[in-house]
Amino acid sequence: MTALALASFEREAAFRAAVSRAGAEQRRIVGLWSPYPVELGDIGEEPAAPIPWIACLGGLGAAILFYAFIWWTATQAYPFDSGGRPLHSWQVFLIAPIELGALAAAVAGMIAFLIRARMTRLHHPAFDIAEVERASSDHFVIALSCDETEGGDVLALLTRAGAVHSRLVTR
Amino acid sequence: MSDAARWLLPSMHDHRAITDAIAGPLVEGQAGRRWWIALLASLLVAGVGAIATGISFAYGPGMWGNNSAVVWGFPIANYVWWIGIGNAGTLISALLLLTRQKWRNAINRFAEAMTILAVSIAGLFPIIHLGRPMYFYWMAPYPNTMDLWPQWRSALVWDFWAILSYLLFSLIFFYLGLIPDLATLRDRKGPRRWRRIWGAFALGWQGTPGQWRAHQRLQRTMAVIATPLVCSVHSIVGLDFAASLMPGWTESIFPPYFVVGAYFSGFAMVLLLALVIRHALGLEAMIRTAHLDACAKMLLAAGSVMLLAYGSEWLSALWTGEAADLRFLAFSFTGPYAGLTYGMILGNCLLPQLFWSPALRRSVPVLVIVALGVLVGMYFERILILCNTLSIGYEPAAWTLYVPTIVDFLILAGTAGLFVSAFLLLSRVIPLVPMYEMRELAEEARA
Repeated sequence: MTALALASFEREAAFRAAVSRAGAEQRRIVGLWSPYPVELGDIGEEPAAPIPWIACLGGLGAAILFYAFIWWTATQAYPFDSGGRPLHSWQVFLIAPIELGALAAAVAGMIAFLIRARMTRLHHPAFDIAEVERASSDHFVIALSCDETEGGDVLALLTRAGAVHSRLVTR
Repeated sequence: MSDAARWLLPSMHDHRAITDAIAGPLVEGQAGRRWWIALLASLLVAGVGAIATGISFAYGPGMWGNNSAVVWGFPIANYVWWIGIGNAGTLISALLLLTRQKWRNAINRFAEAMTILAVSIAGLFPIIHLGRPMYFYWMAPYPNTMDLWPQWRSALVWDFWAILSYLLFSLIFFYLGLIPDLATLRDRKGPRRWRRIWGAFALGWQGTPGQWRAHQRLQRTMAVIATPLVCSVHSIVGLDFAASLMPGWTESIFPPYFVVGAYFSGFAMVLLLALVIRHALGLEAMIRTAHLDACAKMLLAAGSVMLLAYGSEWLSALWTGEAADLRFLAFSFTGPYAGLTYGMILGNCLLPQLFWSPALRRSVPVLVIVALGVLVGMYFERILILCNTLSIGYEPAAWTLYVPTIVDFLILAGTAGLFVSAFLLLSRVIPLVPMYEMRELAEEARA
C-alpha cells in the first residue's frame, strides 16, 4: 500500500538537506512547502515560466492597439484642428499608450502568474495536511510518496536530515 | 556582522518570532485606545474636508482662491504634492528590489500602501478642479451620441491615463507582494470571519517551489516595468507645466526635476511612517535605526539634487536675460510669496544637510523635524510653481495675486485626514511589514 511520509523542519538548511537526500535516494517528492522562496536546484523545480515574456507581449500589444485607436480617433473619427498642429501628433500620442502598456503588462503578467502557480484554488487537498498550515508561517514541509513497508526507512532519512516532526500517512 | 544582520535584531532571527510580531496584533490583538483616538480624529478632519468639497461642488470653484490669472491654485498644487508622495512608494520598492537592498524588506509594504492611498487622493483633485466634476468621464474614450473623442494633445488627458495606469499598476504590485502574507494570516488561529476573507484574497497560495518561483519572476518583472513607469508618471506631471509657454514653466529640466521632487517628498513620508509604525506596532527590532539612517541618507542625496535643480533653474533665468524670466526670478525672491520661497529652500535644501552628521541621522526628533520640513517645503514648491508663474505672466494687465480661502485649506486638511484614517484602517487588516521577506532576511542573518 502506498503511504505518504510527511516531515517538517524549522531550518532551511535541514529542509534542503532532506530534499537533496530524497533526490539522491530517488524518492518520489510529492510536495514541498516553505515560508519563503528557497533555492532547491533542479529538485522540486518546474521549468521556468515565461512570465516576463508574457508581460512584455501583453504590454506591447496593448500599447500598439491603443496607439492605433488614438490615431483613428484623432485623424479619422474626429479630426480636430488644434492651433494648426498636425492631426497625427505622434509625440504626444505616445504618452497614453506607454502608460496603458505598462498597466497591460502587469495585468498580463498577473494572469500568467495565476495560471502558472495554479492559483485561485481555494480548496486543495494539501490544505487538509496540518503541517502545510505551518509552512506559511515558520516551517518547511516535505511530502514523500513511498511504499508502506519502507515507511520507517523514509522517516529515518527525514529525521536524520533534521526533521522536527515526521509521520506516515497511509492512503 | 553580515549585511543581513545589520537590518534585524538577533531576537528576530527566528521565523516564528517574526510571524508572531507582525501577524499577532492583526489576528489576536485588539485596537488600542491610541488607535481609536487617532482614527476618530483623522475621520473628523476627513469629514470636514468632505464638507468643504461638498460646498465647492454646490457653489462652484468661486469658493476657492483661484482667479482669472491663477486658475490652478490649491487643487492642482494638492494634486502635484500628493502624486509626488504617491510616486515614491512603488519607486522605492522597485528600485531597492532591483538593486537587492536588504533594508527594503522592512519598508516596502507600507511604502507601497502609501503610494496607493496618496495616488487615489491625488486623482481626486483634477476631478474636483474641473468645476463640473460630474463630467470627468469625458476624459475616457467611449462611444457617445455626440460622436466626440478625447483631445489626446491635452495635458489633462495625459494625467488621466498616467494616474489610472499607475494606480492600478501599483495596486497589482502591492497585492502580489501581499499574497504569501495573506496565506500566513489565513493559516493562523484567529477570528474565523477575517481568516475567510484573508483566505479568499490569498487565492489558494501554498508556498510550493513553483509558486515561489512564479511569484518572484513576476515581482522582478513588475519592478523592471515600475521604475520607468514611475519616472514617466511624474514626468507627465512636469510636462503639464513644461509643455506650456509661461515664464518659469517652459523648462526642459522639469520632468527629471519633478521625478526627483516626488522621490524626495515620498521618502520623507516613508521616513515619517517608519517612525510611527515602529513605535506604534512595537517593530523596533525590524525597522531599526539603521533603516532610519539609510532613509536619511536618501533624503540628503535627494535634497542636494533639489538644490542643484533650483540653482540650475535660477541660473537659466539669469542666463537667458529674458525680461519675463528675470521678472519672475525677482518676484520669487522679493515678491509677496518670497517667504514661501525661503521656506522651500530651508525645508528642501538646508534642513536635509543636517544628515551629513551620522548622529543626527539617528536622532528621532531631528528625523521628524527634517521629514516634516521636507513635506512642507515640497508643498511650498508646488504652490510656488503655480502662483509665481500665473501671478506674473507675460500680460501685465492680468497680474493678480493668489490668496487661498478657508475652503482651500479645509480640502487640503481633509485629504490629510483621509490619508491617515485609511492608513490606520489598513494597519488593522494587512501586515505593514512583509513577513516572508523578513523571514528570508532572518535566515540570512542567522547563517
